[in-house]
Amino acid sequence: MSDQWTIDRGLVERISKVARLELTQDEVEKFTGQLKVILEAFRELDDVDTEGVEPSFHPQELSNVLREDEATPWNWDPLENTEHREGRHFKGPRIQ
Amino acid sequence: MTGVIERARTLDEEYGIFNALAESDDSTGGGRLEGVAVSVKDNICVMGMETRAGSRVLEGYRPPFDATVVKKCREEGALILGKTTQDEFGFGTFSVNTPFKVPLNPHDRERSAGGSSGGAACLTSVADFPHLALAESTGGSISCPASFCGVVGLTPTYGRTSRWGLVDYANSLDKIGVMGKTVADAALLLSVISGPDEYDSTVSQAQPEDFTEYLQNDVEGLRVGVPREYFGEGVDTGVSEAVWGAIKGLESQGATVKELSLPHTGVSLASYYIIAMAEASTNLAKFSGLRYGLHLPLEGSFDDYFSRVRARGFSEEAKRRVILGTFTRMAGYRDAYYLKALRVRTRVIEDFKRAFEEVDVLAAPTMPVVAPRFDEISGMEPIQHYMMDVLTVAPNLAGIPMISFPCGRVHGMPVGLHLMADHMGEGKLIRAAHALEVRG
Amino acid sequence: MKAVIGLEVHVQLETESKLFCGCSTDSEGAEPNGNTCPICLGFPGAKPKVNRRAVEHAVKIARALECDVRPRFYFSRKSYFYPDMPKNFQITQYEMPLALGGRLLLDGRSIGITRVHMEEDPARLVHVGGGISSSLYTLIDHNRSGVPLVEIVTDPDLASSREARMFLEKLGLILEHLGVYDPGREGGLRVDANVSLEGGQRVEVKNITGFRAVEDALNYEIIRQESMANMGIAVERETRHYDAETNTTSTLRRKEQEEDYGYITEPDLVRIDVDDAWISRLESEMPELPDARIQRYVDEHGVPLFQAGIIVNTGLDLSRFFEECVGLFPEPGMVANWIVTFLLKSLNYEGIGLRESKVRPGTFVELLGLIGEGTITERLARELIKEYVGTGESPRSLVERRGLASAGREELGEAIDEVLSDNRKAVADYRAGQTRALDFLLGQVLRRIRARGDPVEVKRLIRDALDSE
Repeated sequence: MSDQWTIDRGLVERISKVARLELTQDEVEKFTGQLKVILEAFRELDDVDTEGVEPSFHPQELSNVLREDEATPWNWDPLENTEHREGRHFKGPRIQ
Repeated sequence: MTGVIERARTLDEEYGIFNALAESDDSTGGGRLEGVAVSVKDNICVMGMETRAGSRVLEGYRPPFDATVVKKCREEGALILGKTTQDEFGFGTFSVNTPFKVPLNPHDRERSAGGSSGGAACLTSVADFPHLALAESTGGSISCPASFCGVVGLTPTYGRTSRWGLVDYANSLDKIGVMGKTVADAALLLSVISGPDEYDSTVSQAQPEDFTEYLQNDVEGLRVGVPREYFGEGVDTGVSEAVWGAIKGLESQGATVKELSLPHTGVSLASYYIIAMAEASTNLAKFSGLRYGLHLPLEGSFDDYFSRVRARGFSEEAKRRVILGTFTRMAGYRDAYYLKALRVRTRVIEDFKRAFEEVDVLAAPTMPVVAPRFDEISGMEPIQHYMMDVLTVAPNLAGIPMISFPCGRVHGMPVGLHLMADHMGEGKLIRAAHALEVRG
Repeated sequence: MKAVIGLEVHVQLETESKLFCGCSTDSEGAEPNGNTCPICLGFPGAKPKVNRRAVEHAVKIARALECDVRPRFYFSRKSYFYPDMPKNFQITQYEMPLALGGRLLLDGRSIGITRVHMEEDPARLVHVGGGISSSLYTLIDHNRSGVPLVEIVTDPDLASSREARMFLEKLGLILEHLGVYDPGREGGLRVDANVSLEGGQRVEVKNITGFRAVEDALNYEIIRQESMANMGIAVERETRHYDAETNTTSTLRRKEQEEDYGYITEPDLVRIDVDDAWISRLESEMPELPDARIQRYVDEHGVPLFQAGIIVNTGLDLSRFFEECVGLFPEPGMVANWIVTFLLKSLNYEGIGLRESKVRPGTFVELLGLIGEGTITERLARELIKEYVGTGESPRSLVERRGLASAGREELGEAIDEVLSDNRKAVADYRAGQTRALDFLLGQVLRRIRARGDPVEVKRLIRDALDSE
């Protein structure tokens, strides 16, 4: 297999950025080792022949569950659970 | 029922059962659950009651609505007693993966109550007042703690109960189910909470059933299948023997028993964990400290702020699953992990469909061992935690209903018999488990 | 250097409620976050449910663009973190979208449509204390969160900024005809444009609102890339932000900063099957599209192709106006001519659109009727239309109030007699063969009747009077 399959600290650090999850150096170290073991074990999926097999997104396939287009207002205060507010706005961090 | 709340508080101090407890009795009575205290796993929303799903990241969150199952219990007159302890977001098998209280096993407080619905199972065992538990399973989180605590745990078919108001772990796997001291208890609560719901697109359109009608004490002609793979390496011989004892019990009451094979049992573990983590890592993205839950001072860019909130709010197992789950769906890995796991899931479902052409129910041990001691658990690597679920993940992946029923003891600890049926076959499970309960 | 342009067009669908919840899409005058619920705010435990009308609108768009509507499609989660996204993923469509492979004809040229899919709109952000790159914090209004969008992705078939604009105008017109989109809604159509020069790297310019802005942004970007190429600097693959105020683009993120969207199928939603019966029903509900309408004006009404094109392409309001006028005044050729030649000019002069003006079919055809019955001359009508467009006053009452009706035979006869007897020298000149004398006499008569007559007709009458004298 090519390099892309190598589980190393660099990969874990990259994932942590994608996932917006700050990790300490110890966590990176620990997770790198654990990921190697876990993903190695998961590779047993390769042994299953799934040629022509459709993926199952749900245990039973349901379809066409739709709602009619009616405006039904929700009576609530959306800001009740936040401290980060200004007037009727949520307040968020800056972009850069 | 104010006395019940007081009693629950005492039990909580002894066993670590509640993340939140009702302040007063606001039940209306007058329904099928009049006089019953219903406990709610912490990941199921109760309007106005702190709902954290076992996570610090939801600190202080008071849902603006009731989960559909909670609403249905209220309408039947139940007291909504409180939020039971669990692994953070359901990420675990022993209810130890949480910054909050860890529930203790009622039969030996040195041991785990199981997970992730540990608090629910523990309370079901120790409650000395009329009580039923709303629990939830993604990969075995009802069956496992029911087995370890010696109570009845019923996980319904995926979509039998509405997930509206459930703090998602893995949406294509999550099922709200029930626990009770008896099969009749479980059947009653399932009757109350099942049925269609306009707020959940994945719920079955099947009309609600009265599952207590299946409490018939009759298994004559019931075809019981015993899957070979569920008695393999790693399954404690004492556990095997206890389970076989229960199977023989069914046979003696007129059931037929046949051994068969579910060849994809082993690989179901990888398929399950990949799908569950992929979905979970997207579900956890919303926890970013802006609109509810944990807040930090708004400093730095949004990238910094989100990364900091999430580092502070998630504990170790949640972080591990976010990392793993993000990995399995990243460009370049997605086909080999996420999509492959979904295809293997199809194979696992086919295994069960084939088996249920021949038998009505499958019987197996719920867990390979009895509840481990906390000192054993702390020495386990993550992969060993995951492997504890090897017997419960396949039916959860297939979304079939299952019931864990106490069938004896090993070293003084309860053993669970796991019965599984085809989709929408809860009635058969109730029928079989009830027969064992009545006549052993 | 040849430009290669592909567009991703986001259209806000006209629905009562949002894509996945019952919140109203009409937030004009609503307080911030007033049109929200736990679903569109992604609160723990809330679940989406698909709006049927949004699906039907999207299917109609796909069919109008000649796409294959997939018999089964799914929604997906596109993961990226941003303060305008309540769930930090967007519900959109990825590998199994609603429709693939269509086209739009632009002056006989086929512009490929890669795909059409549905997705939810994020929130509206206000950057406080600076711009997107320098603000202190953001304010978030989720009224827009979850509003249904359709994304239409073109093949890289557009060759110039002007062509891109023409494409968007035509697309907007089709969407307007379908009744799925309101061209008057602010930000109802937003564009991401991919542009490269032949052989160069592709640059994406994000979130441009308005057809002219697209043309401007592309012009800027093409010139920027050309200058770089001329200086021997390689264009990097990147995403740029368009600033309409300065009409410039600037780097938003480079390739290595691109998100890994980590798509998964949305597990809270189920598959949607679109069978032939459903598609047929929707197709039967689809109105006539612009190209067919132009052809009908030509075939049924005998309107010249160029005028039919102008009427239809100006917008649905004008087509409807034309058709109503023809219903009241069944001379389509004259109606079309007066709309294209005079009405549009006057509207343009006033700087207003038909919709905002006081022009109505009933009063407009009055004007044409006055000409037809000879009450006023065409020339006068051309003058009157300016006043009519300005005030909307009934042309008939305008003519009456101001005494503008053409002079009658009697009045005209008297005026001619008077002029001929008062200007004997001119009459003599005319008889001597000086044709200019006739123009002088015409001027005198017109003055006497205050120009309320057709000069050609009056001239003929003067000549008759002279000949019979």
